[in-house]
Amino acid sequence: MIEHFSPLKGRRILEVGCGDGRLTFQYARTAARVLAFDPDRASIEEALDQQAALDIRNVAFRWGSIEHLPARGAPFDVALFSWSL
Amino acid sequence: MVHALRRAGQRLPSGGSLISIRPHRTWRPLVSILTPSRRVPVARLINSAFDSRLSAAEAALARVVHEGRFALAGIRNHRYRARLDNLSQLRTYLELISPPRPRFPAGRRAHLLELWASRPRDAKIEIAESVVVTALRRR
Repeated sequence: MIEHFSPLKGRRILEVGCGDGRLTFQYARTAARVLAFDPDRASIEEALDQQAALDIRNVAFRWGSIEHLPARGAPFDVALFSWSL
Repeated sequence: MVHALRRAGQRLPSGGSLISIRPHRTWRPLVSILTPSRRVPVARLINSAFDSRLSAAEAALARVVHEGRFALAGIRNHRYRARLDNLSQLRTYLELISPPRPRFPAGRRAHLLELWASRPRDAKIEIAESVVVTALRRR
């Protein structure tokens, strides 16, 4: 459904509201890199456990909100707001 | 919400995509028991904070388009189904949804437990969810 609007393969993805990573892990292997935020610490811990189990290395999970993301920095090609607006 | 969209926009180059995935306003999540021969609908989940949050999300998306930061690239509805093996997985599935979480209407969780207790072999729990995908393009 996402790729109807934007391909994710080889892209730099910012995911806001990643939860336990249930969406993240579906596309992560094709993306160049992913920075995924969620304000719920338990969800991030669950995502990190799954990431280790799946051996996915191009995703950085962060606990917090997008307000913690500096305005300047490496650009992303796609920003995903997954159930987070 | 507008602030979050603006911040994301600051890290997108011109032509970059911002994609919002959010629950459909009227097609609420449907919990069913799936047997090898049929699907038995049990409950549509409810969420008291749902309408106001969706309205706020739609307003925020419209705002950043109006400001000229983004152009609307498209809107699509999408439906998907998650199949779960047991009640424990259902509990986890619902607990991991970002708050405010949907809940069963009065009496429907008990109805699910009743049906599940008498399920045939190989039954599963199914959640059918509908989402709206809105794509914006950074100007």
